[in-house]
Amino acid sequence: MAIQILRDLRGLRVLVVHPPDNERVRLVEHLRRIGCMVETQWPVPDCWADGSDVMLLAVEHDVRSDIQRLLKSNDGLRPTLIAIVGYEDPSTLQLVLEAGAVAVIERPIRPFGLLTNLTIARSIWLEKRETEKRIRKLERKLSGMQRIQKAKAILMDGQGLSEAELTKAFAARRWRSGCRWMTWRLRSFTQMNSCSIVQKMFSFAPRQK
Amino acid sequence: MSFSENAGAPWRVGVLFSQTGVTSAVEQSQLNATLLAIEEINSAGGVLDRVIEPVIYDPASDPKQFRSLAERLFQVDRIRLLFGCYMSSTRKAVLPVVESHRGLLFYPTLYEGFEYSRHCIYTGAAPNQNSLQLAKFLLSTYGNRFLLVGSNYIYPYESNRLMADFVVQGRGEVLDEIYVPLQAVPRDFEKVINRIRKTSPDVIFSTVVGRGTSVLYEAYRNAGFDPAKMPIASLTTSEAEVAEMHPEAAEGHITAAPFFETSSSPSARRFVSSFKDKYGPDAPVTAGAEAAYFQLHLAMRALARCGSDDPERVLEELRDSEFDAPQGRVRIDTENNHTYLWPRIARLDKFGRFQTVWNPGVRIKPDPYCVVQSLDDWSIDDLQTISH
Repeated sequence: MAIQILRDLRGLRVLVVHPPDNERVRLVEHLRRIGCMVETQWPVPDCWADGSDVMLLAVEHDVRSDIQRLLKSNDGLRPTLIAIVGYEDPSTLQLVLEAGAVAVIERPIRPFGLLTNLTIARSIWLEKRETEKRIRKLERKLSGMQRIQKAKAILMDGQGLSEAELTKAFAARRWRSGCRWMTWRLRSFTQMNSCSIVQKMFSFAPRQK
Repeated sequence: MSFSENAGAPWRVGVLFSQTGVTSAVEQSQLNATLLAIEEINSAGGVLDRVIEPVIYDPASDPKQFRSLAERLFQVDRIRLLFGCYMSSTRKAVLPVVESHRGLLFYPTLYEGFEYSRHCIYTGAAPNQNSLQLAKFLLSTYGNRFLLVGSNYIYPYESNRLMADFVVQGRGEVLDEIYVPLQAVPRDFEKVINRIRKTSPDVIFSTVVGRGTSVLYEAYRNAGFDPAKMPIASLTTSEAEVAEMHPEAAEGHITAAPFFETSSSPSARRFVSSFKDKYGPDAPVTAGAEAAYFQLHLAMRALARCGSDDPERVLEELRDSEFDAPQGRVRIDTENNHTYLWPRIARLDKFGRFQTVWNPGVRIKPDPYCVVQSLDDWSIDDLQTISH
């Protein structure tokens, strides 16, 4: 993983959102030296550009409202965000935190440290994305299990099946076909007793394999 | 051996205050005070029998010019000590140059804090030396509904964040927070005036700097508001900005600073009268000027003690050193390079002169990294010294 991140820095698409000045010129030069594909942009864009992996964003107070508009935008995939700051007072840091920056480069910008910051930022960002994916998956699984518990309770209650019987029947099947089987049992049961839970059960028991 | 260490040659120092541009009025007062201090020292025989020779440029209130002129001062003029800067953006532009040349900057202006450089001595107020006291005074005197207005750059944002925090501590409400361009014109304040009319706050806290200040106060006056009930309170409206407005527009508004031209101590009177003798009765003497004046004296006394303008040795001498400034005895803090100062609050009278309304006679230690300040840091006893 670690060496892969370093390898991937070559060809990484970096968007530098910074006013045009000497500091930006030197920053872009060094990013190219590292091997990144760099584009520049100013003023602050309205939405996240799809074509970049990393955005280096100059956090300046006089463009605060533009930055906040960008942060609210849901268009495009959010890139790894690195903030460039000239001050470290709480109102600047607040803006950096709100922006969700995973690394910070301070002015005056020096070549040394840029590679380290890019690496750390990419690593944290990729890890964060991976973690979010995992959490989403686990949340889906958890809510599925909660529904199964509820369905079990209804079936035990209404059709006199025991917990052991249900668990055995479920375990004999794969997860999805187990769900389907449970839904089928529920449906036949609720034809007699109208119950809204069956509606919900349909949603997690896909027909296709 | 550098040029300035040759016996008999003058001590060359750099001076960067804007004589043109948006904040030139207050910076001119800081330049005047710096030159007054140099003249005083030179006429008393200089430092170790060598006169001080200021190298002065006009960076025109522009950070880029500040940076390139600082480079010129260190590289071409070979100075090692630099006196100057008003806006934070200009200090930020100059500091990397000072640091890379291992020089020393003396910065005589209040600012938003959250900075320390080994290569800078800060002689203006940090927020714990003016904002806190002003907030307490305003909350207890006028009420807790505030409207914040500022110039669009770093100092006003941070200053307003802090004031908003105090207002919340005082169970009050920030009705709006409006920013105008640094180069503000009357049209920029229309929205501000409309919001004041609509929300009728108890206090308007202004962090507008430079020329825009008089435009705001004039607009307020033209709108017919009453400063006795709803004053504009500021940390940056000094004698220099007041001189640019009609006295009627100034009357009734509030400023907090460690020094006012009307300060009544003998040393303050001496400083103001030498200043007026040199620059005329109408030349404004600001808190920034007073800091510029005492910091030059402090620096030269340190230089006299160590016999060199090597910043490292000057710094060594400045640590914990005290000086009888016009505002009172000040002291450089060893840990943070900021200065112990004397907070005061004044209200402008009908002649546009600051009349002190709160002067606790307490010297406050600078705390530039204080994120959350508590209003309770000042006791009720302190507030009883307020005269209405």
